[in-house]
Amino acid sequence: MGFFVIIGILILSIVVSIVEIPRLRKQNQKKELWLFSFLLLLAVGMGVSVTFHVNLPNPFDTITAIYKPLNDVIQKGLQ
Amino acid sequence: MPEKEKIFLHQFTLLVIIFTIGSTVLVTPSGLSRVARQDAWMVVILATSVAMMFVWIYNSLGKRFPEMTLVEYSEQILGKWLGKIVSLLFISYFFLLASLLVREIGDFMTTQIMPETPIHAIHAIFVFIMVMGVRYGLETFARAAEIFFPWILGFILFLSFALVPEIDLQRMEPILERGIKPILQASFPMLGLPFLELVVFLMILPAIQQTKKAAKAFYIGTLIGGSVLLLVTLMTVFVLGPALATNQMYPSYVLAKKVNIGGFLQRVEAIMAGIWFMTIYFKVTICFFATALGLAQIFKMQDFRFMVFPLGMILVPLSLIISPNIVYFNTLLRDIWTPYSLTYGLFLPLLLLVVAAIRKQKSK
Repeated sequence: MGFFVIIGILILSIVVSIVEIPRLRKQNQKKELWLFSFLLLLAVGMGVSVTFHVNLPNPFDTITAIYKPLNDVIQKGLQ
Repeated sequence: MPEKEKIFLHQFTLLVIIFTIGSTVLVTPSGLSRVARQDAWMVVILATSVAMMFVWIYNSLGKRFPEMTLVEYSEQILGKWLGKIVSLLFISYFFLLASLLVREIGDFMTTQIMPETPIHAIHAIFVFIMVMGVRYGLETFARAAEIFFPWILGFILFLSFALVPEIDLQRMEPILERGIKPILQASFPMLGLPFLELVVFLMILPAIQQTKKAAKAFYIGTLIGGSVLLLVTLMTVFVLGPALATNQMYPSYVLAKKVNIGGFLQRVEAIMAGIWFMTIYFKVTICFFATALGLAQIFKMQDFRFMVFPLGMILVPLSLIISPNIVYFNTLLRDIWTPYSLTYGLFLPLLLLVVAAIRKQKSK
């Protein structure tokens, strides 16, 4: 199952590259090309890790750590 | 500005209404009645009134810079680097909001309608439709909002009328049983979902044709959205009662199951799910559009369409990572989302407004 998902992600990213990259190269947009490649690599990396159940860091764990004290203070104030 | 598309004023109003209804209509009544019990409807009124103040802040920013988006003027107000950092924070907020909304759909589908379908598949399909919408552009999905809005409103009104025989006014009593405190407590999470999220419209305001009248449209949209929420919450309290509304994860979905007209018209809960899909689709699309447009503007690019597909491919795994289970998700929405949104929906816009006023900056 995981194998097919990986194949799917790869095929999708190749198709997206075929559609987008020639257009960006023709207009010589280097910045766009870099950002596109970075985002696509990130997407493939994340997709593969999620498929293989690698524990990626959850951004909301950090956000919870930051905002939990603030929420406690506000909730106390409202009680 | 890379985005040259223009939308009409009424389309903007519809987008604000749909944005306010989206996701809130299904999730919020449960949280409201948990704390405020039968007074949940008062919470909606209070939260909507407070939301008007937020909209006032957004409108003041919008009036000061009528031709610029949030990302563009935060760079002008705060300087190049600080501005870029603030813009990136805003974009992370929009993107995380989009991932939360996608997860909401996945959780709803897998717990209520399609329990055996893997959540990844639902996310992937939904994100694909959304990516298509963003690639076609703001104009296109604003027109789609125009087409779908009568259906959304019609379904909600139909549900409310169909439930009239089930209404039991005694469920509303006693009013203000435990004083005003529970109402204040319950309205706090409701500020974060949906009203502080309206900050995302600062990315769309400059795309309106008659920018001068946008302020009024913004107020009206929020007010109508709040009224629809009020209607649904009232129905939840009247028909289900506070105890049942609290125990359910999606009270308005259960509410739709109650419809029974002469033993003939029954099981219309799919209509409720339909309303919810449409509204949440537009909500995710707006957030995703703001993310892509904002990224393009930070890096001073001409177009944002090339990064829509990769961003969508990031969104699917991200929406799976952000919450390991439904309890984590609910705690997140209840305790963390509002303080987190306060930073982006209230504190940062207020900061931008104050600094712009001190430095006497206006759109060039």
